[in-house]
Amino acid sequence: MNARPVSTPPAGDDELSGPLIRDLPPDKSRGSWAMALTITTEALLFVSLFFAYFYVGRLQQYWPTHTPKLKLALILLAILLTSSVTIYAAEHLVKKGAHGAARLLLILTILLGAAFMVVQVYEYVDHLKELTPRSNAYGSLFYVITSFHGLHVVAGLLMLIFVACLPELDPPDSPHKPLHNAALYWHFVDVVWVFVVGVLYVLPHWSRLP
Amino acid sequence: MRPVEPPFPIVEPADPSRAPGDALLAARLEQIWKSPPGLWGWLTTVDHKQIGRRYLVTSLMFLVVGGVEALLMRLQLIGPDRRLMSPEAYNQLFTMHGLTMIMWYAAPVLSGFSNFLVPLFIGARDMAFPRLNAFSYWMFLTSGLLLYGSVLFAQAPDSGWFAYVPLANRRWNAGTNMDFYTTAMTALTISTTAGAINFIVTIFKHRAPGMTPARMPLMLYSTGTMSFLAVLALPALTAACVFLELDRQWGTHFFDPRYGGDPLLWQHLFWFFGHPWVYIVFLPATGMVSMMVPVYARRPIVGHPIVAASTVLTGVVGMGVWVHHMFAVGMAQMAMSFFSAASMTISLFSTIQIFCWIATLWLGRPVRTTALLFVLGFIATFVVGGLSGVITAIIPFDWQVHDTYFVVAHLHYVLIGANVFPVFGAIYHWWPKFTGKMLRERVGKLSFWLMFVGFNLGFFPMHLSGILGMRRRVYTYLASDGLTTSNLLTSLGAFLLGIGVLITLVEMGRSLRAGDKALPNPWAGDTLEWATASPPASYGFVRIPTVKSLNPLWDEHDEFADPRNERALDDGRQTLSTSPIDAVPEAITKGDAETILPLLLALGIVGTFSALIARSLPAAFVAAGLVVALCAGWLWPESHRKKLEHGVEVR
Repeated sequence: MNARPVSTPPAGDDELSGPLIRDLPPDKSRGSWAMALTITTEALLFVSLFFAYFYVGRLQQYWPTHTPKLKLALILLAILLTSSVTIYAAEHLVKKGAHGAARLLLILTILLGAAFMVVQVYEYVDHLKELTPRSNAYGSLFYVITSFHGLHVVAGLLMLIFVACLPELDPPDSPHKPLHNAALYWHFVDVVWVFVVGVLYVLPHWSRLP
Repeated sequence: MRPVEPPFPIVEPADPSRAPGDALLAARLEQIWKSPPGLWGWLTTVDHKQIGRRYLVTSLMFLVVGGVEALLMRLQLIGPDRRLMSPEAYNQLFTMHGLTMIMWYAAPVLSGFSNFLVPLFIGARDMAFPRLNAFSYWMFLTSGLLLYGSVLFAQAPDSGWFAYVPLANRRWNAGTNMDFYTTAMTALTISTTAGAINFIVTIFKHRAPGMTPARMPLMLYSTGTMSFLAVLALPALTAACVFLELDRQWGTHFFDPRYGGDPLLWQHLFWFFGHPWVYIVFLPATGMVSMMVPVYARRPIVGHPIVAASTVLTGVVGMGVWVHHMFAVGMAQMAMSFFSAASMTISLFSTIQIFCWIATLWLGRPVRTTALLFVLGFIATFVVGGLSGVITAIIPFDWQVHDTYFVVAHLHYVLIGANVFPVFGAIYHWWPKFTGKMLRERVGKLSFWLMFVGFNLGFFPMHLSGILGMRRRVYTYLASDGLTTSNLLTSLGAFLLGIGVLITLVEMGRSLRAGDKALPNPWAGDTLEWATASPPASYGFVRIPTVKSLNPLWDEHDEFADPRNERALDDGRQTLSTSPIDAVPEAITKGDAETILPLLLALGIVGTFSALIARSLPAAFVAAGLVVALCAGWLWPESHRKKLEHGVEVR
């Protein structure tokens, strides 16, 4: 039996049009793809954590057993949201070629992230007086969710510091876009905090029965 | 033995250097892509072909270890009231058997095939992230070594592979057994997630020009779906393992009802990962079957779009069936009905694929090779396993057989049927491509029949043991239980299956030394991997191919014709980046050079986890700091590194 042509190529499927392949620009996007997928898998991690929060709470008479104070959480939220704006501006400035100003904004973002960590520790010290991770399941969940977020802030900060140490913010011969990828991750960390504040801090004030 | 003749003449000569001057180009590419010799080259390679082979060998070693564990259990259960080992040792054996087979054999072996084959299917020179690929492998190996490190302390995990609390928690399991479990599993998820991200980007970004969705080999669909499942489902396992470890070592109360915790939380998180994992170890195997069937049926697959859609839909619905592992724990009727219906729905997609394979064979002129025998064996066993799955999706029946040997029989029919048989078929199919040597068909057929008969002799009576009331994981049973015959048969079958597996493994070793040399395309296959040499050169293809149909080597289009001399890509390590859907050339991706960093990074991460097992926080922090430093070194732009080293401007 002989092999036969299986299908005829559709019209217009002509590889001889278009620019020469060997003259194509270098690819810089695959790192951003990988970062987007990393963020997806990390987001599912937080989905699992929030699921645990609601699942464990579903049958309890009092949930949460303690109502966290809102003030510091909102301050932390303001800090992170501001840092999202500064990193966005930094990226914008790099595109315009203002590398010096961009680097300053990047350093400002790092400082805001560090400020977040400081206030977070302060909040923990205050919070630990009435609730510890060993108090009950709510305490375990509260501290694990917030400290997981804290670890992500640390990871994001390490990325931003790495980018700030680069000789160029947008290295023309780099196979990736370091600032863009670190900024993507940083925005993700900020968005997670919005959910943490909403679920752990605001919702109990909203819905908790006396 | 005479060389295997291709059953019909190959349309296109599979000689990589046809055009004048291409021999020179091939030599140049070889210089660019070849790995350095010696041990250093072995430790630093980022070549997807070497890494794929390594995945294959390592996971087959885990298969042997897990198989020996199974045979030891079968010796214990061969007759009533035997005392071959202590009950504690037996607990460790069944846990390690499950973990080894499901986590460290079944998924990594498929990663091995995908690693080797996916870049060749799509006409790329390597994966999207070659260094990350090497890291996935080293992480897989070191996480397995971490798991088996527990054996050195006689503290292997012993709460079953799904480690239900409270049994797995500190109160009932005070040793370090389950600490090895949580850390090794988390380490493995890092490997799997990194590999999955790599597959997704590779499949979306590096397909040869013209390889539109309608022309994508089906294994790309299955590998891609599997990768998305891994990205979405594995975090739940990480969360569960973190909770368990914190409960065990740091006094938290996630699973402790006395403090408001909930043991069922573990089950939900575990199975939210666990059931998609079943599809992770199953889907790529169906992809391999979809690649083999057309070659041996001598015609294109029937219903390519339907099979592709079924593959993707299996993944989608597979994310929503996890509760069927938990029908016996007591839940709302409505919720259980939903998951019962989803579990029955998912069998439709597998059924559609099976009918497409049967139709392909029916309409073609099948050539009865060993690989095809394994495919047929797969279809037969998988149908039995699928049917016992559909009936256990019915809640009242599930309650009857829950946690009995019926379920053990079902899961072995599914996992051995849908993973081991396709994998062994794939070994016979692609071994010539992997190694350049042929496996002997006769030996393969002997191996197949021993495996097939042994498997059914062993596992079919398990259904009966289960219906007669034999609980899974029991250490022994009494002569008066009426389980003696079925268990004897199971043990005999298990050994027969083991011999069948061993024959293939020995034949693989033999063929490396004394096997016949393989032609580039010994089966007259249709996909691009068969257009490379056997084994492929370090660079894969001399010129990046273009694709005009689903069966590139069976159509009249010359994939390697390059009138504009534009697809050689020989300016350093380069491969082509194309658009995600239409596969239109977009950019040129720079490949990675050899590096020791992936190995060091894997060692750093496993070192961190080992320090956590040893409860040494300072050591864990030092190791974690090392990991951060290695990451920074990994990402530091190469040109700057060179600038720092030489003090000169490179550009």
